[in-house]
Amino acid sequence: MNIHEYQAKQILSRYGVRIPLGKIAYTPGEAKRVAENISHKGPWMLKAQIQSGARESGHFIEKRAGVKGGIRCLKGHRDVLEEAAKMLGATLVTDQTGAKGKLVSKIYVEEFCLTVQKFYASLVIDRMLSCITLLVANTFGNITALAQKEPEKILRLNLGLNEKISAQQAMQISAFLHLKEKSLKPLKELFDAMLKAFTSLDAVMIEINPVGVCTDGSLTALDAKIAFDDNALFRHPEILPLKDDYEEDDRSLQAQKFGFQYLDFDEGSIGCIVNGDGLALSVRDLLYNADEKMSCFLNVKGGVDKDKISAGIKIIMTNPRVEGILINILGGFLRCNLVADGIVSAASEVGLNVPLVVRFEGTNKEEAKEILKNSGLPVITAENMEDSVEKLLTAMKEAA
Amino acid sequence: MSILINEHTKILVQGITGTQASFHTRRALAAGTQIVAGVSPQRGGTEHLGVPVFNTVREAVENKGVEASVMFVPARFVKDAVQEVVENEIKTAVAIAEGVPIKDMLEIKAMLKGSKTTFIGPNTPGVITPAGACLGIFPENIHTKGAIGLISRSSTLTYEAVLETERAGFGQSTVVGLGDDMIVGTGFVEIMKLFQEDPQTKAMVILGKLGGTYEEEAAAYYASLQNPKPAISYIAGSLAAFNDKMGYAGDVVTHGRITAEDKKNAMRAAGMIVVDHINEIHLSLQNLSL
Repeated sequence: MNIHEYQAKQILSRYGVRIPLGKIAYTPGEAKRVAENISHKGPWMLKAQIQSGARESGHFIEKRAGVKGGIRCLKGHRDVLEEAAKMLGATLVTDQTGAKGKLVSKIYVEEFCLTVQKFYASLVIDRMLSCITLLVANTFGNITALAQKEPEKILRLNLGLNEKISAQQAMQISAFLHLKEKSLKPLKELFDAMLKAFTSLDAVMIEINPVGVCTDGSLTALDAKIAFDDNALFRHPEILPLKDDYEEDDRSLQAQKFGFQYLDFDEGSIGCIVNGDGLALSVRDLLYNADEKMSCFLNVKGGVDKDKISAGIKIIMTNPRVEGILINILGGFLRCNLVADGIVSAASEVGLNVPLVVRFEGTNKEEAKEILKNSGLPVITAENMEDSVEKLLTAMKEAA
Repeated sequence: MSILINEHTKILVQGITGTQASFHTRRALAAGTQIVAGVSPQRGGTEHLGVPVFNTVREAVENKGVEASVMFVPARFVKDAVQEVVENEIKTAVAIAEGVPIKDMLEIKAMLKGSKTTFIGPNTPGVITPAGACLGIFPENIHTKGAIGLISRSSTLTYEAVLETERAGFGQSTVVGLGDDMIVGTGFVEIMKLFQEDPQTKAMVILGKLGGTYEEEAAAYYASLQNPKPAISYIAGSLAAFNDKMGYAGDVVTHGRITAEDKKNAMRAAGMIVVDHINEIHLSLQNLSL
């Protein structure tokens, strides 16, 4: 689960990370009042709160929002009012949002911080070493591009499961970043605070991109991003309400509600229902080879509740872009008959208007086939994965 | 022979009284698995499905000489369950649960270091030795005893690959689902070592997927072998678009952007047979002179 910059900053600040003064605003008037409360004089930063990186280099779809990106530095109160009015309600497109962009419904207004240096800092999980890894780079911006092109420019430190960085690690980071001695203590405090937040809150990534070095040597988080482990949210009831439902599409949200995974690829016309992401990957590869594209998929995982499965199947059946449905279930924990029941009940509620091919294998497969046969639904059954793809493509051609 | 478990292995079910545990325990018993004990707190002294139930793993080990365990406990209790099997030096343990917190897995991995336990999973169908023992939730009636050792990082594709071996006219020595999660207890290499040593296993099938460098480790190990058994591998997710939508962002910064092609190339270079589609596995198997 991801949260917004302003939320991440508030959380990190509670753990001792220094952040600039700022407040969230939902209207231009509010933005102006926040700016006035922060200081008499500018400049102020106006930052569009959408969950995406590269907001500064992004652009708005609407002309009225102006040519500048989602992060703007402004000098006068009137500018704050005008620019906030331009950005609010407009759609920001960045490298990471896709062409559709994301609607800006709130703006973070912040004091401008004069800095002498900026650097990248993050904590992530290295799955292969099973540890928390600290990353810094003496640059900021697109870190994934840097990781691919010039990986030597990133310092990676394995922190194990420690709750603090060592004095020696702090010195190593400081030397790598060419920081002045007066920043050494703030540096250790910054990472200790980030690490404390990381381990206390079951984060899987905390990124400050960039950290600003002020003239007095202190360090301030100019941006902040936190991603939480969805599987550990039960331990943090205070975090869950921070989720912004507007950041995700409706179908994906519905699927999550039932404990399923839904992904939409903004292309193609075939909807798939599988139990396992490896299976989704495999089916997608097969479709691609047949010059077809997977439009979306629903992964019902090890679902064992018939009603939830039925609700999940409806998510795919009611997607207007879907012109054919491929269901591939390899039952182990999940029993095929539950999926068959789910198909029948979903079809009876929303109607089945496109070709549907089902391939069942494993636990209670025969029972499942029997359920479909007795339902009278025009469901096509297939014997294996490539057979299911072939049969669906043929049926879709006939239907067209 | 087989690896990890066989018809003589004395097996424990942790959380035996739950609905799912009962369903799969009943099936495993019917198929001949030696389930000798169950653990369920506060149910000690009772019997469930004809299996004696204990309050703790320690009691089960002391009374029944348990060698392997399958955990049907909910995700949030997996860490405690692993601690119990590690402390009692159970050799093989499997966790089925999906949704174990990552921080718990980091702590589990630290626990496992230097321990006597091979921990498989979580989020896995488990381990099965056909006509021997089932430590997990494998589908019924798709396995036969045979010569192929199978290791998979994708639960559902495991079943698909089992069907491929059957299609080729082979059975399986042992099937090991490593688990779908970001961090799993055991990687390919440890299991490949066992298959390499196992006389029943004549060839291996290895199923990888995007995320992490488990496949690269497998390739490096395979390349280091003097007389490797034939290995056929498949990597799910050839299309880059998936990587960005499904991957963990931290992977790129820790290990660079690794595509399915990179993984396939590493495996080919190590001397493995790489297929582009999972349903080509049976063809490659038929080409082997086993």
